[in-house]
Amino acid sequence: MLELKHIGKDYDGVTVLRDISLSIWDGEIVSILGPSGCGKTTLLNLILGLTEADRGQILFDGRDITREPMEKRGFNIVFQDYALFPNLNVYKNITYGLRNNPGVSTEQEVQELIRLLGLEPHLTKRIEQLSGGQKQRAALARTMVMKPKILLLDEPLSALDGVIKESIKDKIRQIARDYHLTTIIVTHDPEEALTLSDKVLIINEGGISQYGCPDEIITKPETPFVQEFILNQLEIKRNNIFRLFSRDGQMQAQAV
Amino acid sequence: MGGRNEREIKAIYVLVLLIFALFLAAPVIRLLMESAVTETGLGAGNYIEVLTGRGFLRALGNSVTVSVCSAAIATTLAFILAYSIQYTNIRPKGKQLIRLLAVLPMLLPTITYGFAIIYSFGKQGLITRLTGRQLFEIYGFGGLLFGYVIYTLPVSFMLVLNTMAYIDKKFSVVSRIMLDRPAVTFLQTVLRPLMGTLAASMVQCFFLCFTDYGIPASVGGEYDVVATVLYNEMLGSIPDFNRGAVVAMMMMVPSVVSIALLKYLERYNVRYSRISNIEIRKNKARDRFFGAASALILLGMLSVFAVIFLVPFVEEWPYRIAFTTEHLTDVLRDSSLLGVYKNSIFVALSTAVSGLLVTYGAALATARSHLGNRWKTVIDSISLVTNTIPGMVIGIAFLFLFSGTPLQNTFFLIIVCNVVHFFSTPYLMMKNSLAKLNASWETTASLMGDTWVKTVVRIVTPNMKTTILEVFSYYFVNAMVTVSAVIFIAGARTMVITTKIKELQYYTKFNEVFVLSLLILATNLAVKGLLGYLIRRKGEVKGYEKKKRMLCAVCGRFGLPGLRGGLLRQQR
Repeated sequence: MLELKHIGKDYDGVTVLRDISLSIWDGEIVSILGPSGCGKTTLLNLILGLTEADRGQILFDGRDITREPMEKRGFNIVFQDYALFPNLNVYKNITYGLRNNPGVSTEQEVQELIRLLGLEPHLTKRIEQLSGGQKQRAALARTMVMKPKILLLDEPLSALDGVIKESIKDKIRQIARDYHLTTIIVTHDPEEALTLSDKVLIINEGGISQYGCPDEIITKPETPFVQEFILNQLEIKRNNIFRLFSRDGQMQAQAV
Repeated sequence: MGGRNEREIKAIYVLVLLIFALFLAAPVIRLLMESAVTETGLGAGNYIEVLTGRGFLRALGNSVTVSVCSAAIATTLAFILAYSIQYTNIRPKGKQLIRLLAVLPMLLPTITYGFAIIYSFGKQGLITRLTGRQLFEIYGFGGLLFGYVIYTLPVSFMLVLNTMAYIDKKFSVVSRIMLDRPAVTFLQTVLRPLMGTLAASMVQCFFLCFTDYGIPASVGGEYDVVATVLYNEMLGSIPDFNRGAVVAMMMMVPSVVSIALLKYLERYNVRYSRISNIEIRKNKARDRFFGAASALILLGMLSVFAVIFLVPFVEEWPYRIAFTTEHLTDVLRDSSLLGVYKNSIFVALSTAVSGLLVTYGAALATARSHLGNRWKTVIDSISLVTNTIPGMVIGIAFLFLFSGTPLQNTFFLIIVCNVVHFFSTPYLMMKNSLAKLNASWETTASLMGDTWVKTVVRIVTPNMKTTILEVFSYYFVNAMVTVSAVIFIAGARTMVITTKIKELQYYTKFNEVFVLSLLILATNLAVKGLLGYLIRRKGEVKGYEKKKRMLCAVCGRFGLPGLRGGLLRQQR
């Protein structure tokens, strides 16, 4: 279990995160949702260990890891731009971590991941030959080989097209379930957050607006921010789609 | 990279700073002190003496006049060449030829230009004999102007060509749809976006002419310029080191001003991130005109160099004109000349390798570390300062500081001098390339167990291959052709080709001068060819970037990266 207790962070005297407290259970998918500049990426970096917290505590399975360096925590991340190494082919990217930690995954486990993410046809390709979705899956595989205790994903879907988006969502869900892996996702898209995760953490102006499962957020918004910005946005989308389909229905009716 | 304390990069940073403290700051401070030492103690006495003396002021006036004229002519010619490439339908092969030939002079030392001019346009010169009369007086203004234009044309050409490639060509389309007259279209969509670069090119060329020593050394004649005054004060028949130091300090004034101007002009640069290609309107007359103009410019330039290939291969120019390879074999048999050639290769290779390490280290510290901005600015400022200081000034400063130390007359000193002198451009190349690499690589790799050094070796360096090759070649070629700084610090045992040429001039052994020049040219072409091949081979794999690379290849081949207005220096 990952616990954050009264976490705070300032940059140059400006508070970007204040008093963040929450718990994430093992195997949960949690989305951190908020507008740009709300502090969600900072929160991700704090959990990863890339940035140090100015206030508060981070506990993992009861152990205080607040001052532990990134490499010791055993978490891992897939960056928004994937950070794949272009001088290595797909397979060498995936197995990069094995050069430093030969035993971390067995050959069989690596093959299993490759199969799960559908990367078999691409293993000898160069990175620039891959599509966005393929890059995302390769980066995911590379991270999974390290057997992270927590998987962090920074805007994993924002660079992808509609259909690809859904298939990557499935893969993320499948990995979290199969490996019973705690997964934390940063996103700015409410639809993405609410359809992908077990719990959603909505952040605004450096503080928690609401933390709960998608159902609670939809039915019981706790703050005006959640109501006005998150739910209204979804409402507009829903209405647009309904209108599209009802017009479609009308036209079909007229045609008959 | 953030979580850790970046010990390695801090060590590199300190090392880079140490190098520049010892081999840039200390020599220049020493120079400043020398310029202030008078018989009655420290003071401005030397300055007053030099500045009120008629010789210096006349030389300063001459320098400014001839440099301004050269800069204006070179920039105009460069514009015509670049326009032929970017805005006409001349065949691709022809364009490729223009690109190649226009930058060829960069591979030769400027001191050779002067001798080539003498042997082309002098009383017994090749061109003089072909045309039957001497076209202009070569010693003095005419010769200097001609030499400087050849010297600066390649630099100006690359600057203008590069910006022109990035001008949005769709502006021209819009202007035409709006029914502008052709002259207005040209002014608004070609000339105006280029104004900043043209001005920068003028400043750049001015600086290069003002600080060059090679050309006045050969064709200066009675027309004294600041560089010759400086040389004579230091190594002439009646040397006066304190006065020399003053002249050196004075030489920095226009340099500082021109760099400040360049910095200021940077804001006028067009900033388009992509090259837009449109079909150029059919116009046979225009194509013919620019084709002919380009051919004329390049022929004029290359005709000067024809003698380099001719003179060493005839028995005795101009009296016995029969083909012979005697002079060539003489040089190749002369162990002292061959030794000088070997010295040059050694210096160029060592400069390239050490320069690579220093610029790479410095750029890693500024582009890929979390050092505070204030610390990074220090390195950027160093880069600016090395860009500002003329080669002669560095050479003299080294002469003052290291004479009498064990470092005097060592290759080490020449190599360090070159590394410091040419630091700016390759450092900016490195920094720009490193900054473009994915910012998350270090974090990602460290999460997979890499140390910083491992990541640099396994990930960063393989992705920097092209830039590394370009930097290597930039340092190598410049070390091969430079004369301005090394002339003050090369000893009898550490003589390199360019300083040997200066010595051979004294004994009027011009066959040897030209053979040595040919050796430099051949070596540079070979190195450029080899590295260019390696870069292109790598480029081919990345087919999607090919278009971009084609353009970069021109600059890359001559070690000038995204010069879009960046400060560029190709001093000798």
